[in-house]
Amino acid sequence: METFALSEPVLLVLLSLAEQPRHGYSILKDIESMSDGRVLLSTGTLYGALQRLLDNGWIERVQEENTPRDRRTYRLTSRGRRNLQMEIERMRHLTKMASLRVARKEA
Amino acid sequence: MLTVYCWLLCLYPKSYRHDLGEEMTLVFRDARNALSPALAVKIGFYRREFSGLLCSALSAHFDRLFGAAIPFPRSYMQPQFRFPRATVFLMLVIFAGVVITIRTACGIAGDTLGLGWRTLLGCLIFMFVSMCTAAAVVWGILYARHRSGVHRLQNVQS
Repeated sequence: METFALSEPVLLVLLSLAEQPRHGYSILKDIESMSDGRVLLSTGTLYGALQRLLDNGWIERVQEENTPRDRRTYRLTSRGRRNLQMEIERMRHLTKMASLRVARKEA
Repeated sequence: MLTVYCWLLCLYPKSYRHDLGEEMTLVFRDARNALSPALAVKIGFYRREFSGLLCSALSAHFDRLFGAAIPFPRSYMQPQFRFPRATVFLMLVIFAGVVITIRTACGIAGDTLGLGWRTLLGCLIFMFVSMCTAAAVVWGILYARHRSGVHRLQNVQS
């Protein structure tokens, strides 16, 4: 199955949800923490990514009983988890190739 | 600033606003309340938020009209399908060949066919452009309705 590269915001959102289901603000703070403050998403960018992921079926909303509408939680679907895994494999292969080439050049 | 943010949310499509507007406002408020008091931090925050909102609103309208067919500059997921450049190149080569052939034929036949040649060339160009436009429109409609070859292949793969 052919994969395609994910943009950094999407990848970070998926990684954030891979750990546990989260609501919007929690995703923002987690991404900031994961990137050591380097990546600061705006709410527009975050929700644009969330909407596209919802449309593609990679994530789903979890409406808990006592949770207000504006605190909806998101979680990865099996499809989203599978695609995230493929992306991680792709990046792992790339970094492995990069390390080999750099090592070869230095040698 | 929260009022300005709520006004800017009106730039989004209605369905998007209805679905996510409240949530986005709450997250904006929480993020703003968590800011440090430094002026530079606040300016950076508002600049990032409002510019992100404008780009995201535009992207939402694009997606609603064209699906993911035309990747917006800040597209989040690259579409797998790429229109084959070789096809465009071959189409241009064939078209150039036809034009050269017609010109050669007119040269052999003489200037009496000059007027006919110009009319014919105009017709050919018009037909070519019309066919390309029609193909692009039909493909766009199929893609927007999730019935294009890309979606069928994705369904098979998943």
